[in-house]
Amino acid sequence: MHIHAYEKLWLAFAVILILLLIGSVTYGAVGPGVAMVADSEDQIDPGALDEDERFAEPRVEQVGDNHYAAYVIAYQFAFEPSPIVVPENSRVTLYVTSRDVIHGFEVAGTNANTMVVPGEVSEITVEVGEPQEYGLLCNEYCGAGHHGMEGKVHVVSEEEYANLNEGGETA
Amino acid sequence: MSRTETARTSVDDAGGDDEFDPVGTLALIAVYFAILVLAWVYIYYIEFLGRDLVVVG
Repeated sequence: MHIHAYEKLWLAFAVILILLLIGSVTYGAVGPGVAMVADSEDQIDPGALDEDERFAEPRVEQVGDNHYAAYVIAYQFAFEPSPIVVPENSRVTLYVTSRDVIHGFEVAGTNANTMVVPGEVSEITVEVGEPQEYGLLCNEYCGAGHHGMEGKVHVVSEEEYANLNEGGETA
Repeated sequence: MSRTETARTSVDDAGGDDEFDPVGTLALIAVYFAILVLAWVYIYYIEFLGRDLVVVG
C-alpha cells in the first residue's frame, strides 16, 4: 500500500499528540502527585451521624506530623464546621459526608472538589500553603437554598492555629 | 476523467508524489496541531496544575 509522505507526517503528528496527552497525565500523577477521589471509605448511616465518632462532632484534628484531618458534614444548606480552620503549609485530609441529599464540596477556585453523597464519605487530601481564606460552595443542586449554601476554609498561621485550639480547649 | 485518475493512481503506485502535494492541507493540519498542543499545555499545566490545593490523595 502506498501512503503519501504528507499523510505519514500527520499520522505521526496524531501519535505524538496522543503520547503528549498520556505523558502529561502520567507526569501529573508521578510529579505533583495528582490523585482521584477514591471510594476507599466505608459506607456510613447518614441518619446516625450523631453517633459516628468522626462526624458526631465535625472538626479539624491533628492526625500526624503536620497532617490534619477535617471531618465535615454538608447539609441543607450549609457546611459544618464553618470555617474549616487549618494551619499553613500542612497536609489536610478532608472527610466529607452528607446527612440529607447529594451536595457538592468545592473549595472555590481550586482543585479541591468532590461530590458529597449521603451514606458515603468523600476523602480528599490536599496540601495547603500560605495563610489564606478560601470560599467553599456546594456545586450540586440540593434544594431551594442551594444558592446560599457556602462555607469557608481558613488557612491560618501556626501561631494563630495554636491560639485557636488553646482557646477552644479551655473554653 | 477516469483515464486520468487511473493514470495518476498508477504513478502513485510507482512511488511518485510529484503530482499531488496538498501543501495547504498540510499547513492547516500543522496549525490545528499547534493549537491543540498550546491549548493542552495551557489547560493542563497552567490552569489545572497551577491552581491551589491539588488533590494528592
